[in-house]
Amino acid sequence: MDTQVKKLGLKERYAAMTRGLGWETTYQPMEKVYPYATYEGIKIHDWDKWVDPFRMTMDAYWKYQGEKEKKLYAVIDAFQQNNGFLGITDARYVNAVKLFIQGVSPLEYYAHRGFAQVGRHFVGEGLRVACQMQSLDEIRHYQTQTHAISTYNKYFNGMHHSLHWFDRVWYLSVPKSFFEDALTAGPFEYLTSISFSFEYVLTNLLFVPFMSGAAYNGDLATVTFGFSAQSDESRHMTLGIEAIKFMLEQDPDNVPIVQRWIDKWFWRGYRVLTLVGMMMDYMLPKRVMSWREAWEIYGEQNGRALFRDLARYGIREPKGWLDAIDGKDHISHQAWNTFYNYNAAAPFHTWVPTDEELDWLSAKYPNSFDQYYRPRLEFYREQHRAGNRFYNKTLPMLCTVCQIPMLFTEPGDPTTICYRETDYQGDKYHFCSDHCKEIFENEPEKYVQSWLPVHQIYQGNCFKPGVDPTQPGFDPLMAVFDYYDLDFGRDNLDFEGSEDQKHFAAWRGQALQNTV
Amino acid sequence: MWGICMSFELTIEPLGYSCAIEEDQTLLDAALRNGIYIPHACGHGLCGTCKVKVVEGDVDFGEASPFALMDFEREEGVALACCAKPLSDVVIEAEIDEDPDARAIPLRDLTASIERIEDLTPTIKGVWLRLSEPLPFQAGQYVQIGVPGIEGTRAFSIANAPQEVEATGLLELNIRLVPGGAMTTWFHENAKVGDTLKLTGPHGRFFVRRSANKPVLFLAGGSGLSSPRSMIHDLLATGWPHPITLVYGQRNRAELYYDEEFRTLAQTHVQFSYVPCLSDEPETSNWQGERGLVHEVAKKVFNGQFSGMQAYLCGPPLMIDACITTLMQGRLFEADIFFEKFISAADAQQVRSPLFRKI
Repeated sequence: MDTQVKKLGLKERYAAMTRGLGWETTYQPMEKVYPYATYEGIKIHDWDKWVDPFRMTMDAYWKYQGEKEKKLYAVIDAFQQNNGFLGITDARYVNAVKLFIQGVSPLEYYAHRGFAQVGRHFVGEGLRVACQMQSLDEIRHYQTQTHAISTYNKYFNGMHHSLHWFDRVWYLSVPKSFFEDALTAGPFEYLTSISFSFEYVLTNLLFVPFMSGAAYNGDLATVTFGFSAQSDESRHMTLGIEAIKFMLEQDPDNVPIVQRWIDKWFWRGYRVLTLVGMMMDYMLPKRVMSWREAWEIYGEQNGRALFRDLARYGIREPKGWLDAIDGKDHISHQAWNTFYNYNAAAPFHTWVPTDEELDWLSAKYPNSFDQYYRPRLEFYREQHRAGNRFYNKTLPMLCTVCQIPMLFTEPGDPTTICYRETDYQGDKYHFCSDHCKEIFENEPEKYVQSWLPVHQIYQGNCFKPGVDPTQPGFDPLMAVFDYYDLDFGRDNLDFEGSEDQKHFAAWRGQALQNTV
Repeated sequence: MWGICMSFELTIEPLGYSCAIEEDQTLLDAALRNGIYIPHACGHGLCGTCKVKVVEGDVDFGEASPFALMDFEREEGVALACCAKPLSDVVIEAEIDEDPDARAIPLRDLTASIERIEDLTPTIKGVWLRLSEPLPFQAGQYVQIGVPGIEGTRAFSIANAPQEVEATGLLELNIRLVPGGAMTTWFHENAKVGDTLKLTGPHGRFFVRRSANKPVLFLAGGSGLSSPRSMIHDLLATGWPHPITLVYGQRNRAELYYDEEFRTLAQTHVQFSYVPCLSDEPETSNWQGERGLVHEVAKKVFNGQFSGMQAYLCGPPLMIDACITTLMQGRLFEADIFFEKFISAADAQQVRSPLFRKI
């Protein structure tokens, strides 16, 4: 018999492949199987309205990622075998890589855990499958980043204990606490925080600077990782967009809840990006663009288009929007200044930029650099040359929410540090901004549990077991570094005179000269 | 289409929709310009969102990243629509929701002669064209018109219902004079009965989604009445059982063409409600109807609640934009809002968020 069977379209084929993956449970009531689907107050009437525009099956996923990974590892291998690290602009660039493996890669692993967890707790199969795939993407990213960067760890300091540091070192608690805040939220808030605010609204400000920074500075391994990951990012961003639309369209009661999450997570993400801004302006020997320029393109321009569209759902721009715009002239300089001062306690190097680099910053920041930041850096350089490289040995006060030292200035007044405080159950809590304060006040019972590195040091929780602080001559700071497993004099302090600097000069010299 | 050298035909499955594509045009660009949304994101071959399958013909893969488009995919004929360009006539299969209400009607090139020209308002002329052969179309669609001596073609929505076109062989266009517009000026100042034009159609994906079985709301303004008029006549002629509302806005009484016709239809069809409104009518006139802009009047009539309906919008961009906002605030979302989108080069330049696919 010769019957013509109509070929299924891609969408129908996907439906056929995934048919029946979601079902109504009968042994236990649905609300007991999915307890978190409702407890945030988000109302969903029809889970089938979730749109999954990718419609990838697991089978296709493995095949696709398999080939991608093969290509990526071929490039990483070639890079390693040919001593590709010698091709970077100069050894200062490696500090951007250190910041990435210390502060960004562990977030990929957190994202893996987060998506695995929320995928379990959503009801609709479209959403469950999307979360499952992203969970796998994220662990792949963590692994491939680790492998791509491992070549640098063989030759440079500041990477050997990055995971250990992530759980202990003061500035790494900034990205760590950001992600733990998301991981401990409900499933819909998690999607709003990570998939929407971070992956969609802010990802271009994290990824593009690091990856184009790598490209400009001869770091082929990281660039290749970037290309490999970018082909997953569109799926991640789409998940964020679909999640927001889904919640806003399902019930009008969801709108104020989502608005509060957007306010919170825009600001949380923006604060974490301070580290990226600093990296762009100070840590790349060959600069791509200034933080200010990146913020204007990826933050302001795209954000305005997005919030214009979201206004139709009754969503306004995040509360911290104008303060974030105000900060574009300042935050990278204020952060670098802090790290320069606290460089004894940070396992990467800092330095005063060269004259040429200072001129670049002057040109890129006409409203702020010459007036507020350049004189300070030139003074530091003078002092350094005179043998007085200053390292601050006290501990800074941290913001209870973003955990960044109180280094930011008042909106509109770059000469006054911004302090906010609030009382809760007899204790005083400190904040860097109105927005971090408001985040705390919305959920004080969550943030009073924050593990603040400075508090922990003062409470004596950051010494190795058996250390006796009452011993004569006890140096608390050195005891903290010991607890960090920070190799003093190699991982930290100024780039000038560092082992990284000397080694790179020697290796590059060897590579470029004939040995007799 | 004529006048364009080295163009191929692009057919997009599962829609079965065909259109012309130039040799240096990307598949994505051609699809978008023909009103077909293929999901896309980065636009330059890095992310892989716009993956399509090339079923027939050959393409140049362009600048697709080896991480976004795998070797095994290339061998299987997968391409990224944002950077693939045709090397022959091409049939692609894309991740598009098959629209159960779309009829696959092939494009036709025909000639037409002007049978009648009539003033509908001080700025709008009705033009009736006698077609050289039958032109099946879905109410709401448009045709491209070419006139001797004027470069390129222009799009005009068909103003009468398919039933009437079939019965009379006459296709009606309502043409507003656009200041400085070569073709509309020609229609208003030079066109005469007996002139011959070239016509291609039907185009567009603006038609009633009957399968949804929901009440239908038409919001029309300016010269945007053509498609809704064709669609309303078509719905009523085929016994559509659900409520139909037309909110129709003009500046003043003199511009409110076909007002009598809709009043009559509302009297003879219980499911049809007609709400004319004027935005710039003198206070002192004897106009008894609504005053204000289309979106304001619609909001008032429906008490700001639009959920459960389907809305079809036709009119100037500012009106469309205001209506979308009003509808969404009244909890009617993208999936139930339809309008014909003519993407211009200026739109492509604008920074857009990816929040919406089609609105």
